[in-house]
Amino acid sequence: MLPVSELPLDQSLLTDRTIDIKLVGVGGAGSNAVDRLKMDNLDRVQMAVINTDLQALSASPVQEKVLIGSSVTRGLGAGGDPDIGREAADTDRAKIAAVVKDQDLVFLVAGMGGGTGTGAAAVVAEIAVEQGALVIAFVTMPFTFEGGRRAKQAEEGLQALRRVCDAVIPLPNNVLLQEAGENESVLDSFARADEWIGRGVKAIWAMLLRTGMINVDFSTLRQAFQSRGGKTLFGLGSGAGEHAAAQAIDSLRHCPLLTTPENARKADRLLVNITGGPDLAINRVKELMQAVTEEFGMDSHVVMGAAIDEAMQGRVEVVVLGTTDLGGRGRASVRNPVNAVRVKSKEKEPVAAVAAPTAAPSPAPVQAPPPAVAAPVAGPGAAMSAAVAATAPSLLPKEAPAPAPSLFAMPASSSSSSSAHKATAGEPVAQNEFTFGEQESRGHFENTDRNLFEGQDLDVPTYLRKGIKLAF
Amino acid sequence: MSSKTSFIGAVEIGTSKTSVLVGEYTGRELAIIGYGECPSRGVVKGTVVDYKAASECAHHALESAEQSAGERIDFVFLAQTGSHLDGFYNETSVNVKSADNMVSMLDIDTVCGLATAKELPQGRMVVHNIRRPFRLDGRVVPGSPEHLVGRRLEAGYWIVHGQENKLADAIHVIRGFNLPVRELVLSSLAAGHMITTQEERQAGILAIDIGAGTTDYVLYRDGGPYLTGVLPVGGSHITNDLSLGLRLLEGQAEKIKIHHGRAIVAPGAKGDKVWLDGDFRIGDRQFPRQTIEQITSARCWEIFEVVRKRLGTQFSPEKCAGGVVLTGGASKLPAMAECAAKVFGVPAHLGEAPSSVSQNLRDPGYATALGLLYYGLSSQAESSPRQPRRKAGFLQRMFSGF
Repeated sequence: MLPVSELPLDQSLLTDRTIDIKLVGVGGAGSNAVDRLKMDNLDRVQMAVINTDLQALSASPVQEKVLIGSSVTRGLGAGGDPDIGREAADTDRAKIAAVVKDQDLVFLVAGMGGGTGTGAAAVVAEIAVEQGALVIAFVTMPFTFEGGRRAKQAEEGLQALRRVCDAVIPLPNNVLLQEAGENESVLDSFARADEWIGRGVKAIWAMLLRTGMINVDFSTLRQAFQSRGGKTLFGLGSGAGEHAAAQAIDSLRHCPLLTTPENARKADRLLVNITGGPDLAINRVKELMQAVTEEFGMDSHVVMGAAIDEAMQGRVEVVVLGTTDLGGRGRASVRNPVNAVRVKSKEKEPVAAVAAPTAAPSPAPVQAPPPAVAAPVAGPGAAMSAAVAATAPSLLPKEAPAPAPSLFAMPASSSSSSSAHKATAGEPVAQNEFTFGEQESRGHFENTDRNLFEGQDLDVPTYLRKGIKLAF
Repeated sequence: MSSKTSFIGAVEIGTSKTSVLVGEYTGRELAIIGYGECPSRGVVKGTVVDYKAASECAHHALESAEQSAGERIDFVFLAQTGSHLDGFYNETSVNVKSADNMVSMLDIDTVCGLATAKELPQGRMVVHNIRRPFRLDGRVVPGSPEHLVGRRLEAGYWIVHGQENKLADAIHVIRGFNLPVRELVLSSLAAGHMITTQEERQAGILAIDIGAGTTDYVLYRDGGPYLTGVLPVGGSHITNDLSLGLRLLEGQAEKIKIHHGRAIVAPGAKGDKVWLDGDFRIGDRQFPRQTIEQITSARCWEIFEVVRKRLGTQFSPEKCAGGVVLTGGASKLPAMAECAAKVFGVPAHLGEAPSSVSQNLRDPGYATALGLLYYGLSSQAESSPRQPRRKAGFLQRMFSGF
């Protein structure tokens, strides 16, 4: 991976190559969730809050606070209007860019339905992606009793986010309502939403930073999110005691973050991380993996991770992260090679400057999915997938990055790719939104019974379900 | 005309067309004397959804068949398909009663009675009881085990059952023309009977009939049907995929499918484009041949794949020496056999009707109707002695009330 000039490794290089994670809360709900997570002291995670409301910001214990749109709102909040939220974020793009600069992974936390969270989150995500970060958004969806307008705004906000984020994990508050006790206060309910978001963030954080027996690292995660805009499946479950594995699976099924209709719970790429105590038996891991794959995988590409945590004696925790090519119109656009290889701004030595382009070939497999993955043709034979693979680069010039060596020939490629990306983020029409279950087109069979086989509706065109890219 | 001569109508109410063949059966010979066809309406995925439209078509086809035969049809063999049909395997064994361990007819009757006595859920009824070969002390007996010596006689049935009201719908359509339905035959059995030889059935062969709305398959082993199945996916799905993928009208997509569809993407046709109409009219468009082939091949591949998955461990290339044989309208798509061969890992070919059948009925689309006549008659001949292979009598009792 490292360019020859940087070998042998010295201590400073090693420490510099850790991944930078930032948790960014946008809007009131987002900030609250981040505030709460602040208490948990996640190490190596920086936190920031972005809001239009000065008062709310000043109350936050988080160090990095950014007030946006002071010219638009005079620091008084967006008043529940997503347009104002968006405008506020647009006027302060530079401020936001400073927050997400040089991050590898940005967790975006926002509450949908209000003004700032709904409007600004997508802009923040867009800027973060431009800066080369992987963006995973956790968003809460409003309670139904909060009114139809909020629900509508939330839905629009969610769609806008899906277009720009690598993964969007929605948490419908309604689900929390179902498990709420009789006397639970509204505050408690919101707190529980924050708690779930916290658990989600922590689960991914732990997966990346805890070195496991079978390690899942950042590039694995990045690989899982090759296609942007597709649906994301995320869930976590835990179990303890004798039947820990079964319990974990059961609680995973009931995870409120995993809110998809039954028949859509299948993923093309599945990342499963299992954390257990030192007593974690290999059989239990096997059992868990089988159950999870059965539940969520298709012929999927399953990446497994397992980690041991001393504190988890007798307990086991499962995190499932799945992505689907379906509806994800196009791969994630080329990331800025300079950002892809974490060359920090402080590494100003000339070696580093040379290192950036020389290192480019190595991250290439991460940016450009290998052809076999690009056309996940579980079916029509090697001949066909080869044909697809062969044509893909030539037919999809915008999405498929130029082969790495040509980066030298085209110094402008990084800037052109980022502008190409900006276009995709800015034009909502350019991408078709895929929502779970209902928008699958069945054409002629629209009004007939579903034709289910192994969780798939056979009436929906095969090429859609298998994510075969049509050559046009 | 002797009293033994009967005129049999073989009716297949398919998704794309309803076809009727009229056979003249003298008790020893069958001659096909009439034919009628009508494009179907009101049938989706092999199931009648619009009774009125479907029966109008069926009546039209029956009428023209009678006209072309110049005779009135006496009774009808009706092909059955649709996703509501399902099958399961039920097996029992009895200890041979007699002291000298010789199997008697009573033993056979008992074991068959027990094996077919399985109760079905409410609203389901048996269409076929297909017996797999008897086993005597674990060893397969090809014919009847009567007078053989052994201790334990086993019989297993593949029981095909369907939803009562859906079966009744189809029978109603025929009865509306004032014709009795003598027999319900599973489409797969009818078509399979036509395109396989006794030798192939003995060696093991998988017959797949890919129609417009459904794919019917039957796996033969040891000379008889081993298991059957219906997959409600067929040629109309290929058309639908094309119309969604290329944004075409259904008729245009159908045309593209017929002219340019392939079950496997052809190598080397990368830059090739084809015209939608090819008549230089305004609105005519070009499509890359490869895209069309991608869409159709993905679907074809999947159809076979799903069939294979459904067969599961029951299908093994070793026990399927005859390979795969294809029929049905959609099997005319180029490279279909090649595709099937790849998925199943055995040789595959397109089924052909025996040479005795006249040229204009040898299209794969007519295999089911033809098979209906032959299979229906052969199974009737078989069922006349004590060994009822299917419960035709039961069916008649069921529906004579309508």
